[in-house]
Amino acid sequence: MPCINEGMSMKDFMTGNHAVANAVKLCRTPFVAAYPITPQTAIYERLSEWEASGLLKGIMMRTESEHSAMAACIAASLTGVRTFTATSSQGLALMHEMLHFAAGCRAPVVMANVNRLLAAPWGFWADQLDSLSQRDTGWIQFYCENGQEALDAVIQAYRIAEQVYLPVMISLEAFFVSHFMEVVDLPEQEQVDRFLPPMDLPHKFDIEKPGFLVPVVSSELYRKYKHMAQGSMDSVKKVAAKVDQEFKKEFGRGYGIVEPIMIEDAEVVLVTAGSITSTARMVIRDLREKGRKIGLLKIRLFRPFPVEAVRDVLKGKTKIAVIDRNISLGSGGIFCQELRAALIHSPDHPLTYSYIAGVGGTDVTPEVIQKIALEVMNRSEPFDKPIWVMEE
Amino acid sequence: MSRRIGRLKTNSDHSSEFVIPISYGSTEVIETGKWGFQKPQAFFQTAPCQEACPAGNPIPQFLYLAGEGRYEEALEVILKENPFPGVCGRVCFHPCEKDCNRVQYDEAVSVNAMERNVFDVTFNHPPNMPPLSDADSKRVAVVGSGPAGLSAAYFLGRFGYRVTLFEARKELGGVMRWGIPEYRLSKSILRKEIKRILQLSIDVKTGVRVGKEISFEELDRFDAVFLSPGAGLSLSLGIEGEDLKKVWRGGDFLDRINSGDKLRIGKEVMVIGGGNTAMDVARSALRLGSRVTVAYRRTRAEMPAIQDEIHEAEQEGVRFEFLLQPVKISLLKNKKISVKFQRMRIRGRDQSNRPKAIPIQGAYVTREVDGLIKAVGEGVDLSWIPGTLCKNSLIHVNSSLTTPHPKFFAGGDAVDQPRTIVTAIGAGKRAAIAIDLYLRGHNHDDVFSKIRVGNKGVLSMESYLSGRSGGNWSEPKEVVSYPQLNTLYFEHSQRVEMSKLGKQKALKDFSEVNLGFNSKEARISALRCFSCGTCNYCYNCYFFCPEGAISLDAFHQTKYVDLDHCKGCGTCAKSCPRNVVEMKDVG
Repeated sequence: MPCINEGMSMKDFMTGNHAVANAVKLCRTPFVAAYPITPQTAIYERLSEWEASGLLKGIMMRTESEHSAMAACIAASLTGVRTFTATSSQGLALMHEMLHFAAGCRAPVVMANVNRLLAAPWGFWADQLDSLSQRDTGWIQFYCENGQEALDAVIQAYRIAEQVYLPVMISLEAFFVSHFMEVVDLPEQEQVDRFLPPMDLPHKFDIEKPGFLVPVVSSELYRKYKHMAQGSMDSVKKVAAKVDQEFKKEFGRGYGIVEPIMIEDAEVVLVTAGSITSTARMVIRDLREKGRKIGLLKIRLFRPFPVEAVRDVLKGKTKIAVIDRNISLGSGGIFCQELRAALIHSPDHPLTYSYIAGVGGTDVTPEVIQKIALEVMNRSEPFDKPIWVMEE
Repeated sequence: MSRRIGRLKTNSDHSSEFVIPISYGSTEVIETGKWGFQKPQAFFQTAPCQEACPAGNPIPQFLYLAGEGRYEEALEVILKENPFPGVCGRVCFHPCEKDCNRVQYDEAVSVNAMERNVFDVTFNHPPNMPPLSDADSKRVAVVGSGPAGLSAAYFLGRFGYRVTLFEARKELGGVMRWGIPEYRLSKSILRKEIKRILQLSIDVKTGVRVGKEISFEELDRFDAVFLSPGAGLSLSLGIEGEDLKKVWRGGDFLDRINSGDKLRIGKEVMVIGGGNTAMDVARSALRLGSRVTVAYRRTRAEMPAIQDEIHEAEQEGVRFEFLLQPVKISLLKNKKISVKFQRMRIRGRDQSNRPKAIPIQGAYVTREVDGLIKAVGEGVDLSWIPGTLCKNSLIHVNSSLTTPHPKFFAGGDAVDQPRTIVTAIGAGKRAAIAIDLYLRGHNHDDVFSKIRVGNKGVLSMESYLSGRSGGNWSEPKEVVSYPQLNTLYFEHSQRVEMSKLGKQKALKDFSEVNLGFNSKEARISALRCFSCGTCNYCYNCYFFCPEGAISLDAFHQTKYVDLDHCKGCGTCAKSCPRNVVEMKDVG
């Protein structure tokens, strides 16, 4: 049962999936198109129940595939309405073609992706490769640490998407976030309404002036639109930071596009994204108590990659260990790749180690993180290859 | 490639261009049709029913029009190939239905009943079938006004020739008038069809028997002559007593009935024979109040009569005795006729591959009856025709129906061909084309191979006319086989049968037995047609075309493919249920 908080909002005990569904309802999203897939299905089901009971005002379109769900969202979005879909893993992979269309049509679609490993072999467990392998589709990407952040990220996502006309993907890991029940602060509808004005899309379809989208364009025009989109994407770093600040003003919570934790005097900085961050917070606190100077950097915004913010935070650091719950075969952890690239122009940039932990939903325990931190403290040579952390 | 893209125009609106390009013009400027290597063509092909029809009726076409309720057009389409839809719709043995592709799916389409329906519905609005060309000064004589003669006269008249039609009897129609009883073919139907034919400039000479009122030599003043005297002589059994006065010849019997004479034939009647004449005779005798038995020398399976006729005779109460060959007929003192039969059995096959009946030694039976009618076939009276034109008791013709004398043509029952009304109609058409080619100095064989309907010797008048003025003809169409149809688009449905007069009522007089379709039955029947090889505007191609490049106009029966935008994907050809669309390579 929900309980009344001192402020305006209510606290409730819920899964990450239901937190996302609540956010969609609070954003008054009138168009949802989706196809069920584990472990996202709970989002779909909850929205479906609310549609049936009348709590969700609008249309819930049950499409025959994720590809169609995204196509429907793009079309609906371009009529000037807020849209939402949720998917996971294989569903996201099936959407791939339409992801490019959404970004290319500058449709501010918001999607929740529950990070699940990609087959084969088959499995349902947490792994970020599904969304990370969509990094070049032109979507803004956020990685969430817990259910509360997932809820807040959806609300923020609409604000950002509708300012820059780019779609946003909110990623939350399977089970660790999607199915864990935690206390979630549910904002009041009035607060969300204040924060999120009605959507206005300058290039929406106009019945009075019928037009055709996605016409064939010349090479020069194509380049022009890509260049413009890159400009918009680049602006997201500032827009997202500003939106987060405003969000904090309204709701009392903020995240930043990256979050530095105990960085100042750190000899080693761990870098994480998603649910591993929570565990890492505890680990570095314990290590600090033992006199080890370990810091933590949480990457929340992945696309566009917050190069400037990361560079500022890591200025003067000597060693970094990036923990990736994903593997780009033949290269390494994807967050690590991005981080290395971001730091390349920093003078005396730090040694950056790539750790692969938690792939396929394996548990990243405090012991694992501690082991990584202590190992890096003892390393002094650069190491190109990713280091896999396996159970003893 | 870049040069090509560079030519493409997009009509973008600048107000939205800061986000995405939007075209407010039409994508028609992009001529995607240039990408393709193939283009669709609507190839009307031949349906197997059409190939099987000796008159070459355009069956899918007329069924399509009838199904749309466009009956006058349906009739016109038939009349282009066959001047006797009313007659054929009643008495044809309809080989079309046997070959109907739908037989392999569920049941044949009711083509025969639909042909009748088209005629019946338009009975009061007959279309005008004017001559196709200006009047020609050449004169053609037609001798005999049965189905072959009248058809030849009709088509020759449409070609514009001055036709003179000689008929020995007082009325036109030949076997249709004197041979087929009223309960199968009403005289009013026949009169209607003949009246339509005579709208053309045909000079009719009834009561003129060539060889009597005028000599055969007098025909020489015509530029061409078509001989279609029919087969009017009853064949003899060659047995003792067959010429007794009380023994009827089948042809004479039917002739008298069709002349309206009131006959008394006796209570117990026997009919000898197993052909269509025997069936007509037997059923007519039933209507005169007799009890009728048909005696046939082979078994039911070998009876040459149309199956429907045999079935209807059985239904009406005609009894059959098989494997009986008459050997002697005698008159008894009680005025009854005694027929002695040899019992037969089937063994082996004869020269024409029919099961052979051979006598069982010493096995005889005798039947005593009040009336006896022999109906064992008809011969041709050749007494008035020069012997050089004859062979094997028939008029001798080649495949273009030309006799050894190039100016003389012949067809119908007097030549060696199946003796059916529809075969005679086909012969009339074939002869008319042959005569036209002869008078215009063309070679028959070249043309006949081009204007054939399928491979069973039937000719298309429509094809002939398409090349007649230019003197060249396109290649003939292929026949659509069942596997070429896309039957996924068809639903199974039951064939509708015509309702018939009840037995009690039917036997009271000579009223027509078959009652035809009502409008609902007709519509269902017409829509059952797969329309093999003929576009019936189902719009499948229109709906499936990914480019929207196909336009169809069912009312004007026009089809258009926007070749500037057709990429040649072939979806239309694959989705056509009736194999009408074919993809052709383009250069």
